[in-house]
Amino acid sequence: MFSSSRKKIISTSLKGFRCNSQTAEALQVTNRLASNKTKPSQLKFSRIYPEFLPDPKIEFRNPLREIIERMDMLNRRRNVHIPEFYVGSILSVTYSDKHNPEKLNCFVGICIKREGCGLRANFILRNIIDSQGIEILFDIYDPTIQRIDVLKLEKRLDDELLYLRDALPEYSTFDINMEAEVLPEGSEIPINPIKVKLKPRPWLERWERKNLKGVQDLELPEKFYKRAAELADTTSQYDLMKQYMKTIPVEEQYQIFSEIESELNQLEIAQKKQKRKKSFVKPVKLA
Amino acid sequence: MAFIISNVFNKSSNKSIVTSFQIYNITQIREKRVVPKPKLRHPTWFTHKNRVIHDDFVTADNVGFLKEVVEDQRNSLIPKKAPTNIIDWHPGLRRTGVIARKIGNIPLWLKDGTKIFTTMLEVLDNHVIRCYSPEEYNSPRVKPTLVKNKKGCLLLGAIETDPILLTKEYCGLFKDSGVLPKKVLGRFFVSPEALLQPGTPITIDHYRVGNYVDVRGKTIDRGFQGVMKRHGFSGMPASHGVTKTHRRGGNIGGGGEKGRVWPGTKMPGHMGNRYRVAKGLKILRINRKYNVMWVMGMGIPGETNSIVYIYDTVLPLRKPSAALPFPTYFHKDEDVLPEEFYDENLHNFSDPSIVYK
Amino acid sequence: MNQADVSKLVSQLRIKVNPRLRRFSNPNGPAGRLDKLRKTVTGLIKHERIELNYPRADEARMYAERLISDAIRYGDCHRTTMEMADFWIIEKQLIHKLFKVLVPRFQDCNTSYTRLYKVPSPYPIIYKREDCYRKAVLELRGNPYPSLLPDKQYNKNIIHNILLEEAKKEYRMQKYAEVVANTEEKGKCQTDSPDEKLETSSDISSKPESNKDEHTT
Repeated sequence: MFSSSRKKIISTSLKGFRCNSQTAEALQVTNRLASNKTKPSQLKFSRIYPEFLPDPKIEFRNPLREIIERMDMLNRRRNVHIPEFYVGSILSVTYSDKHNPEKLNCFVGICIKREGCGLRANFILRNIIDSQGIEILFDIYDPTIQRIDVLKLEKRLDDELLYLRDALPEYSTFDINMEAEVLPEGSEIPINPIKVKLKPRPWLERWERKNLKGVQDLELPEKFYKRAAELADTTSQYDLMKQYMKTIPVEEQYQIFSEIESELNQLEIAQKKQKRKKSFVKPVKLA
Repeated sequence: MAFIISNVFNKSSNKSIVTSFQIYNITQIREKRVVPKPKLRHPTWFTHKNRVIHDDFVTADNVGFLKEVVEDQRNSLIPKKAPTNIIDWHPGLRRTGVIARKIGNIPLWLKDGTKIFTTMLEVLDNHVIRCYSPEEYNSPRVKPTLVKNKKGCLLLGAIETDPILLTKEYCGLFKDSGVLPKKVLGRFFVSPEALLQPGTPITIDHYRVGNYVDVRGKTIDRGFQGVMKRHGFSGMPASHGVTKTHRRGGNIGGGGEKGRVWPGTKMPGHMGNRYRVAKGLKILRINRKYNVMWVMGMGIPGETNSIVYIYDTVLPLRKPSAALPFPTYFHKDEDVLPEEFYDENLHNFSDPSIVYK
Repeated sequence: MNQADVSKLVSQLRIKVNPRLRRFSNPNGPAGRLDKLRKTVTGLIKHERIELNYPRADEARMYAERLISDAIRYGDCHRTTMEMADFWIIEKQLIHKLFKVLVPRFQDCNTSYTRLYKVPSPYPIIYKREDCYRKAVLELRGNPYPSLLPDKQYNKNIIHNILLEEAKKEYRMQKYAEVVANTEEKGKCQTDSPDEKLETSSDISSKPESNKDEHTT
């Protein structure tokens, strides 16, 4: 229903605005952003610690509960370092296990999903061990977790990597004794452009309908793509209120993170100090 | 004529009057016309609550003045002193409950690493509004002669509001209590020993960690629902020749002597929006700063942000063994209570990670 | 409990947002719904004041507010915002109005950008489904038309306002007299010996409490 003629109109209208003076316009934008209190220091936290933002569903919200929940989360973070990680990063989680004779267990895998907010926040790690796909769901604030290490900090092209379940095993196989790769400080999080090859059908889901970016050609008959195009949601990208109801407004994000910013910064600094101590190894005298 | 009357008066003794009355009574019984008592009478505090708001053309200046008067009233309230004749708690006594708000379900962890789901209940600003001794309180439902252990009744109010929004009759309920009108009222039956004076505040210290409570709330209104959602029927297959009966209930009874729908048959209908009680829930954690308690379980009736009523449990095996604050907790200056109470099995988030040995 | 989507930053709306959106069932599905609302939003930006059914006015108001707030936040050089403006405004010359007239008008606005009034239903009033047949007026703030609200200038001459005014004076006088009495008492206490002062002050503090207790018992 959205014809191509509209696209032309956009370009013309954009032209009309741009012909004034580009630099002045750009300056205006930056001024506006500054006046709207969108400080990068506040908003970086919403990407690093998304679980501190509450569930946007209005019926579930209660300001008092959110305050207490955040307090509990910070208390837990003081006892275990929960690092910055994203879907696509490779993590190793050490956790207490009743059933293991050593009472301790460690799992290495790729984070394929991250969801939930508050104390419910969780993530799924996937690996293939002894040619058997293993996935473990960890609650981030579970007190049985002893350590979380990021072995490789990176993002993938998609927000969810559940399609790795239907991919060839080499894409979700990771070495258990992997060495941690350290990113230089201040650098941006790299995005891994790898394209995964899926196994032939049958699959767990109809991946051709999910609009995936990190997948090689699916090699399906034409009718599958036709049907996917029929079912594609072309309207919701224009539904401004639907977007609004899925997110937390900037003003509220700013308020939440300005309350806990100092604590989060302190935790980060404490962690960096610890890391430095650990990395320093006393030189051994050679005979 | 006068003679006859005087004669009658002379003759009239107590006996004759009694007999005449008896005759009168007998006629009443013979006709068997006894006026039945109404089955349900509304309690005295059932009045219209919210005033119909019209535009009264009051100037902004005068609106400010009205608010100032209300604020002055609020500031001039004097807190109640603790009563002197307090008796110790012993099993068999029933204390008052509190009005609370359900604010959400969140997970907590036990010290052995098990994840449990809890419900957070915020105890509101409760005050005793009215107090009825067992003699004063006429139960609207039960015949007074049938009640063996007579209980008194306390009317509690919570959530202070602007009295301008409420009717005059409703505000009149709060006249003797010395508190400003409240939005929510709740009735609690208590032992005569546990009666409290109007105006007494009831705080979260009324409860202790480890106690069990019953929580009453109004279930979520789901409207008219079919049997699969309302009663958990399994429905019928989606295919294999099934037509038009995928979510229907199936047979509702046999023929012959039972050839009718039996009362209580599970059928489609309105679901939810009824008061239900979740019984025997353990209090796991209490935060005194924010007046919040964590209660075991997710099945507490009502949506998030709905009002619930908390009672001491009626389940015989979960009644408290140790003494409770009776009739309620009165703060003394020498008492120093910590901000948070945790159950002994509950993991505190400020503690280090759990290690098994 | 889902995580909030932080891929796009949006400003907070200054109006009450309904927990659920209205469906406006339509043979064309969600696209048809948006089409309906598009017409209303375009009409609002064009005419600045429109009269329509209440549910549609309430729904279109939220979309109009979002559009204007995005235009203020990101300006006209932001690609997504321009695409949105292009979608929501059917008459394309009004895109210029959005960015060049409305954005400067609402730049420093602290309240909502629109106003919604409930207006009387036309005769005959249909009571079948109340909400559907109610009428509303939706307008942009700062429009050139005369105000819809009655003039409140002469409200102060209504009898109850005059009476309230008098009551206010009396109340203030009473308060003032109490304050004066208190300060005088304090002054007296200071002139007396410190021991007596303590006693009197404690008497004053305990008096109202004892009175209250007697009253309630």
